[in-house]
Amino acid sequence: MANEKTSIKSLVGRRRWLPRFVLSGERTLHRRYIPFTRRTWFQGYAKANPRDLAREYKLDDKRPWFWLIGLIGALAIPILVGTNLILTAATTFALFSAINLMWMLVIGTAGIFSLATLAVVGASAYLTAWLSIDYGITWPMMLVLGTLIGLIFGVIIGLPALRIDGLYFALLTMGMVELCRVYVVSSKTFGVVTGGLYGADSFIPVAWQHHTPGLILGYVAAFCLVLLMLGVYRLVNGQRLGLLLATARESEATAEAIGINYHLARFTVFLISSAGLGLIGGFYAAYYRGASPALFSIDMVMLMFAMIVIGGIGRAEGAVVGTAVVVFIDKIFIEYGPIRLIVIGFIMLAVTLFARNGLLGIRAQFIEFRNKKKSERRAQRTEKGGEALPEEATEIRDKDHLYFLRFDKRLRDHLKTLITPEVIEEHRVKPLGQHSDALERVLNYFRRAGGENKYVLYEIKPGFEYKVIATTGIKGLLPWDVDDVVYTDKNEALHAVFLKRVQDLMES
Amino acid sequence: MDMFTLMSGLQLTCIYGILAIGVSIIWSSLGMLNLAHGFTFAASGYGAWWAATTFSKSAWVVFGAGISTGALIGIVIYFVAFLYIHDRPNYPIRALIATMAINLIGVQTLMWVFGPRMKPLPKVFGSGVMKLGDVIMTYGQMGTVVCSVGVLGALLIWLGFSRRGLEIRAVMQNPEGAALVGISLRTTALWVMALTGALAGLAAILLSQTFYVSPYAGLQPLIKGLIVALLGGLGSIGGAMIGAVIIGFAEAMTAAYLGGQYVLMVQFGMIIVILLLRPRGIAGLLDEAREE
Repeated sequence: MANEKTSIKSLVGRRRWLPRFVLSGERTLHRRYIPFTRRTWFQGYAKANPRDLAREYKLDDKRPWFWLIGLIGALAIPILVGTNLILTAATTFALFSAINLMWMLVIGTAGIFSLATLAVVGASAYLTAWLSIDYGITWPMMLVLGTLIGLIFGVIIGLPALRIDGLYFALLTMGMVELCRVYVVSSKTFGVVTGGLYGADSFIPVAWQHHTPGLILGYVAAFCLVLLMLGVYRLVNGQRLGLLLATARESEATAEAIGINYHLARFTVFLISSAGLGLIGGFYAAYYRGASPALFSIDMVMLMFAMIVIGGIGRAEGAVVGTAVVVFIDKIFIEYGPIRLIVIGFIMLAVTLFARNGLLGIRAQFIEFRNKKKSERRAQRTEKGGEALPEEATEIRDKDHLYFLRFDKRLRDHLKTLITPEVIEEHRVKPLGQHSDALERVLNYFRRAGGENKYVLYEIKPGFEYKVIATTGIKGLLPWDVDDVVYTDKNEALHAVFLKRVQDLMES
Repeated sequence: MDMFTLMSGLQLTCIYGILAIGVSIIWSSLGMLNLAHGFTFAASGYGAWWAATTFSKSAWVVFGAGISTGALIGIVIYFVAFLYIHDRPNYPIRALIATMAINLIGVQTLMWVFGPRMKPLPKVFGSGVMKLGDVIMTYGQMGTVVCSVGVLGALLIWLGFSRRGLEIRAVMQNPEGAALVGISLRTTALWVMALTGALAGLAAILLSQTFYVSPYAGLQPLIKGLIVALLGGLGSIGGAMIGAVIIGFAEAMTAAYLGGQYVLMVQFGMIIVILLLRPRGIAGLLDEAREE
């Protein structure tokens, strides 16, 4: 049975693909929306697989599934592995993912090259840690105040963005980072001696600190933060604001011409992303019980930029995957020293040079490349073989005819391989009656041909003299003589017609 | 302002000027913000140090090795970050990221090969002190100022009067127009990268008269070069010189009167003010013109 099925698969069509997701037609599909989106889990379309004609169901959009599986994996694997190294690395990954998601709103959706992301996180972390140490606020208040501090920073960063753009804005924000760093490093309040500010309140109980339960709690909390930031990213990027920003990103003049107040949109996105970053800063202080000046270093900004670039600018999954790749290399291979940064650098370089939009853009780029090569090959093809060339095809109105021509050509190509001296000999010996499979296929093809220039047998004297003629296929127009050989044997004459047809087939 | 502050301000101005002009020329002719300039700087320092410890401590060897290392690194950057992507979509941002990656790879490779310890360069100008009336200056400061003024003057003359300089200026003004009159962008870009790399190598040796050679030595000069180039307005050599004067003297005076830790703070404060007043730098117009 299995054998029969594979044989069918090898005979029908030239598609290499096999069904990936088969459903019976009767089964009802869940059509409920995924909450807060307009996607459903199973939205798709049914079609017959060209390979084996089985009914298959293709999903329109597999991304919800990838997200679900990816997120469950990201949550479960570090907890199941459970070593402290992996848990710490996973928490770093979650924190950086959250930051990168907010950064992506500015750098991807709005297309503004801001480097002040970490400065907002750092400022919020420092201020909340300081408030917690000196005024004893608890960690939920740290999160709330962190968000407020982020909002204030959003105003500070967003206002110059109304006037300055491009590299000049990047320089300005880099200046802000440097100002914060120098202030923090030299300020007595923020721990110039200890190299950081520590001792803030945390959501992890003191007894659990630096132990596996505490690390797991920390990771789960950071994971929830990523989920929250994914939600914010979606709300901004997938909704009206994201559309306005994308329009202004592509062309400010167009945006202005169609009445988009892109200054306001940019200011809003700065507020939103900075509030998110402030919240992350508050969380950072509550997780590490403080903050360190490393948050402001240029190296860190570069590393985070590498994450975004490797994943692909302008998409949430890019921020998360890029972060995962870089954090994995950076934290797991920590004993290799500078080599791991060199590896990250090479990945970044390769992605920039060869991938148009990061690791996650490779699939689309490959499909585009394959289509380009396909059409190049089609354009280069000089052999016609009865098939309509692309430029002829546009002139033919009946598109069915094009497919017939293509089919016919393929059929003839196949039949040519069947014609061997043995087959011809077989026909010579026995023109009529039962034949081998190959000969039968060839004869069937000949019989099915239209009347135009078709070789037929003409009986000059029934039973005694025969010759080969060709019909014109046009009513009222007489057949024409092909040659003047006269055959006395009917079988010999039939074989002569067969040879003529074979010759034409081989020459086509 | 005392004479010492003036002299160190002048010295910094010269070095930042050399770096900023490199960044500025690359941006306006190649449309690429070269973030690997800092790596070129650091690598040239190592090249000079290697030549000085292996062959001889004479000034010619040190300068020759530093400048040729810089030019070589510039050519490497040209092949990696410019040649393959310069006619592909999204070129400016990709070139920026590629040079950033080269910087990361290069600096970490230096760290890996030579270790984090700092290396001293020989004092190529000697270590004496010279008196001109009231003014006291070290040979190092003298040499730096004379050398960089000389090189920058020669560069401007070369850009203004030689055929290759004319080509570079044509590409800076309008790459398409230059291509239409038969100037090869690729050849010119190769020259520009080698030239600016050599300039970075020169700056590395001049700065290493007061500081040491280390893997991260390029970061601060790169930031300063970028600041100066952006402050002056990308693509304008005159603007870069004005920017270098402002930043160099601001740094010297802050260090003298407020203390070293406030240098970057004051500089960036000034930049924020200047950029808010003139969003495209002091002399910047070209950025707008480069948009396609």
